[in-house]
Amino acid sequence: MKIDRRSFLALAVGGAAGTALTPLPWKLTDDSSIWSQNWPWTPVPEKGENSYAFTSCTLCPGGCGLMVRMVGERAVKIEGLEGHPVNDGGVCVLGLSGLQLLYGSTRVKTPLKRVGKRGQGHWKKISWEAALAEVAEKLGQLRDDNQSHTVACITGSKHGTIPALFKRFMTVYGSPNVMTTPSVGDTLEMALQVMHGVEAQAGYDVENADYILSFGSGLIEGWGAPVRMFRANSAWRENGTKVVQVEPRLSNTAAKSDQWIPINPGTEAALAMGIAHVMMKESLVNNDFVESYTEGYTGWKKMVLDEYAPEKVASITGIDKMVIVKVAREFAGAGKPLALCGRGNGETPGSLAEAMAVHTVNALVGNINQEGGVVAVPIPEYAAWPETGLDNTAQIGMAKDRVDGAGSDAFPLAASLLNRFAAGAMSAKDYPVNALLVSGTNPVYSTPGANDFKKAVEKIPFVVSFSSYMDETAMQADLILPNHVYLERYEDIPVMAGLQKPMVELTQPVVFPMHDTKNAGDAIIELSNAMGGSIGDAFPWESYEACLEETLGDKWDVLSEDGLWEDEAFQPAGWGEAFATASGKFEFMNPDMDLMPSYVPLNLEGNASTFPLLLMPFDSMRLASGFISDPPFVIKAVEDTILKGKDACVEVNPATAKSLGLADGKPATLSTPKGEARVRIYHYHGIMPGVVAIPRGLGHSADDKYMAGKGVNFNELIGPVEDRASGLDMAWGVRAKLAKA
Amino acid sequence: MKEAQGHNKNKKFGMVIDLDKCTGCGACMVACMAENNVPFREDESDKQLGTAWMRVYKMTNGKPFPETEVCYIPRPCMHCEGHGGHSPCVSVCPATATDYDNHTGIVSQIYTRCFGCRYCMAACPYHARVFNWWDPVWPADMEKMLNPDVSVRMRGVVEKCSFCYHRYQRAMEKAYYEERQEIEEDEYQTSCTQACPAGAIAFGDLNNPDHAVHQLVKPDNRHGGRPKNPHAFRLLERLGTNPKVYYLSSREWVIRAGDNYVKNEKTGAGGH
Amino acid sequence: MSTQDDQTHAVSEQETEGPAAPIILFFIIGFAASLVLGWGIFPKLLYSQKHQPINFNHALHVEEVDDGCESCHYFREDGSFSGIPNLESCMECHEDVIGVSEEEEKFVAEFVVPEREVSWLVYSRQPDCVYFSHAPHVIAGKMACVECHGHIGESDHARVYEENRFTGYSRDIWGKNIAGLAKHPWERMKMDDCSKCHVRENVNQGSVQTQKGGCFVCHK
Repeated sequence: MKIDRRSFLALAVGGAAGTALTPLPWKLTDDSSIWSQNWPWTPVPEKGENSYAFTSCTLCPGGCGLMVRMVGERAVKIEGLEGHPVNDGGVCVLGLSGLQLLYGSTRVKTPLKRVGKRGQGHWKKISWEAALAEVAEKLGQLRDDNQSHTVACITGSKHGTIPALFKRFMTVYGSPNVMTTPSVGDTLEMALQVMHGVEAQAGYDVENADYILSFGSGLIEGWGAPVRMFRANSAWRENGTKVVQVEPRLSNTAAKSDQWIPINPGTEAALAMGIAHVMMKESLVNNDFVESYTEGYTGWKKMVLDEYAPEKVASITGIDKMVIVKVAREFAGAGKPLALCGRGNGETPGSLAEAMAVHTVNALVGNINQEGGVVAVPIPEYAAWPETGLDNTAQIGMAKDRVDGAGSDAFPLAASLLNRFAAGAMSAKDYPVNALLVSGTNPVYSTPGANDFKKAVEKIPFVVSFSSYMDETAMQADLILPNHVYLERYEDIPVMAGLQKPMVELTQPVVFPMHDTKNAGDAIIELSNAMGGSIGDAFPWESYEACLEETLGDKWDVLSEDGLWEDEAFQPAGWGEAFATASGKFEFMNPDMDLMPSYVPLNLEGNASTFPLLLMPFDSMRLASGFISDPPFVIKAVEDTILKGKDACVEVNPATAKSLGLADGKPATLSTPKGEARVRIYHYHGIMPGVVAIPRGLGHSADDKYMAGKGVNFNELIGPVEDRASGLDMAWGVRAKLAKA
Repeated sequence: MKEAQGHNKNKKFGMVIDLDKCTGCGACMVACMAENNVPFREDESDKQLGTAWMRVYKMTNGKPFPETEVCYIPRPCMHCEGHGGHSPCVSVCPATATDYDNHTGIVSQIYTRCFGCRYCMAACPYHARVFNWWDPVWPADMEKMLNPDVSVRMRGVVEKCSFCYHRYQRAMEKAYYEERQEIEEDEYQTSCTQACPAGAIAFGDLNNPDHAVHQLVKPDNRHGGRPKNPHAFRLLERLGTNPKVYYLSSREWVIRAGDNYVKNEKTGAGGH
Repeated sequence: MSTQDDQTHAVSEQETEGPAAPIILFFIIGFAASLVLGWGIFPKLLYSQKHQPINFNHALHVEEVDDGCESCHYFREDGSFSGIPNLESCMECHEDVIGVSEEEEKFVAEFVVPEREVSWLVYSRQPDCVYFSHAPHVIAGKMACVECHGHIGESDHARVYEENRFTGYSRDIWGKNIAGLAKHPWERMKMDDCSKCHVRENVNQGSVQTQKGGCFVCHK
């Protein structure tokens, strides 16, 4: 028998016919479609029991209540807590993206010791014991050499147990150099200190006001507790509250307001004084308050009437005289008018005289400690432990002058002046800074004059970061002792964001710690114990949790149950009792301090011929500008008129852009006396000609590829300008130049 | 099983977005991304390439400084009803991957069914549909935050807003468990509605007189079947897409921007 | 072509001896071989055989518990279905060995003591694009477990889990019968099977495209 080609053909045909009668082809077709519809590399989320875990957000000072949706042990989504007094179910872009910080690639997973050069990013993993022992040894050595005061510490918040533990550590260790991250809240606290004579934060009863006059505050761009302000804004729309926004740029707040008053940048205080002038001249002030409860009114009134006539204010601010008069009359005529200040999201402190000027506008209509007015809200000071003895070294250290000059004769009002730290550390006038501890903040990124700040940090021989993330400051550290992320830890948060009542919230763990991290509170307690002696004695607690529970006392039960403690009984003090100044009254002028509400023009760095434009930052709810970098979701949500490719876009009025020959969407070089950056031009009619606006919160250099290398950090283009009165940074912008790239 | 739908009236889920309240903060976008496993990439500044179900657009009135005005407009899928459920995308899909459900009024998209021809994207006048040009990647431990109620989409398919249909399924599941056949208004809310810090979004059954959305935009015969509220409008209404997303704005220029009007033409004339 | 073909043919005939094998024989060989391959070998190649980590005895458990299936497979308060119990549920009874079976001993030693979740192989696991909820079927539709799952509660051992090497899904979806034939719901659960019942019972037939069930009813 011979096998030929035909036989093969027959075999094949037979095979084909047979195969067609088997399930094989049909089954394989079905399977291949199933396979190609469910690629094995496409992740399939694991199922599990659904539940909610409750906590509070710490990504900004706003203090939103959160409910985290859990599937089994996984946290899958952050949602706003319904019924919470701050956010009632709402939540912002950053808050929603929090899980990307928890699960993302920017985490510092174990204690790290630098092995390469500073900033190179070469690290060696070390154990917690070794890391804490190293810090204890380095700090111990400095102390032995009577150099304890040359150690500085920067914390994020001012209040709560974590900053208090750091401060306590620094005190018993022997250094006065504890600094906190500044904001307009500091300036407002000083204003209350000077004018009311009380230590309090400024609370604003925005919900009950019926006329809002905002001097550049980004009311829906991160100012105060952001979600609360969104809710207030919606309520204003519903109940017809008029909102007047004074700002050189058509911000979102301006766009939502009933009236946008463009103003020459930096002249807001002059407008406030002009409005005060009109109100006083036309006798539109609250006579009861002004006559019975204030001091120095006559002298101040004379000054204002002499110097801030509407015509003059019009020429300073660029606002029509009649508009000034009309706003003053409307404001005074409203039932519960409220003036607000703090530019943008309030992260820059601004001028004290300006904060006082705006506060005075409120005082003139008598809405101090009133419904719909400004309320002096006491700061919850529960984190005060019995003093323990300071040893000799500590006493000597604590007696030294601070490196930032806060509390000195020049700046008696200031408790911390982070803006002066870089210069102080660089010059080493009295003494050098030999070590720096940083917790809960990222000053290398977020301090105006960021490049100078970085240089100052580079000079410090020993830098310890407690950051959870590999941020710009952590990159400059010698040791990183990573904190848990907020979703993994306990921490108390006194909410200081302009609420009308004292409130404390509790951040609670919703997941087990993912990595070998440690609560900064535990780290500092363990560090103290490792150092021993009077330092160890000051930290008798077994753990941070034990410390927290003991410190909060009866608040703990409420907090651990509800996550929130509110001083329900709090009532703003009546005018008779509200003021603890020397006169016992509201003081317009402080005779001791040569300080009064007024317009203090700011001389911007750089000369007008080289830098013909004014550069000012703006805040967007879609960008985080504080210590947190923008997680991928946030970057995804940013408009392409803010970030395009790797370039930040700057807003330029089309008329200005035309005169400079800058086309829309084209790259350009932006320079200021501090630095230079590549940007892209965005023609925007909503910006005053001659002014350039740049988004804040871009230009991170650390973290991962989703966050870093996008746009420019505005803080590298501007330097701090010291307010003579407060010592804080009062810069609102900087001179600049734009040229084709 | 029969009674499950038998006596139910058809629902028509829709959304009303108050543009006077919307602040353009973008929380709706991110709430959507987090809820619906929307992937992200290193560079998300080319908005035509990126995936987003909800997108907030910025509009200006085009006038020079200082007459300029800005309005933000969030844009989910409009879940167009067209005529009898023949929405633009459903009509052109050759794969039966997208569908209109008369019982809920929701336009579905089945990713495993889609083969990526993108006819629907061309047909959609709202740019509500996006194509997955890349396989989704969640770096580090981020796969942990994926929501099991929503399937992850592979490269090469089109996706879009589902009005968080899985939340409807969950709400119904709970209702069945409690031996109810109906759900309350607050039991089914989309992720964007829930997150909106300004409370600008209302969501519910347009057919149900008890629901807020019905109250806000119920059709009025004296207005030619359009909502009585003069501030209410829909995008490109006169194309006949019959969208279920309504907008409210007190500003005339915003309403004009919502459709193509010739000069001097009055708004509010359209509607089918 | 045909000329060339003929020539080749002619040459081959000349070169060989004997008659050519009947074409039909080769056809039959090919036909038969492919039938054997398709019906016999192919299913064996397509599916890999996996064993459950523990040889679970349903019958024994049903005897011991009070509430039948719901004792272990229950609804949670949000209406979701617990499905296969997790270790915690098992440990409510099996914190220590309570019986005499070797499998239980193994279970306690390998899973309970080290607190390791059991990686059960789920026969009925559908692809991720499928949405299925028990509540509308069991509670609203008043269907009994056996209607879909068959008499699994009477089994005294865990049968072999056959995994499709190509797709990674269980053989139960397509069905034991490689031809895709099934008499009972538990023998196959493809999309058409869901659809068939939904059409019959007239549930959720709201689709504009198909005039049948809306896609989102069973897909996600």
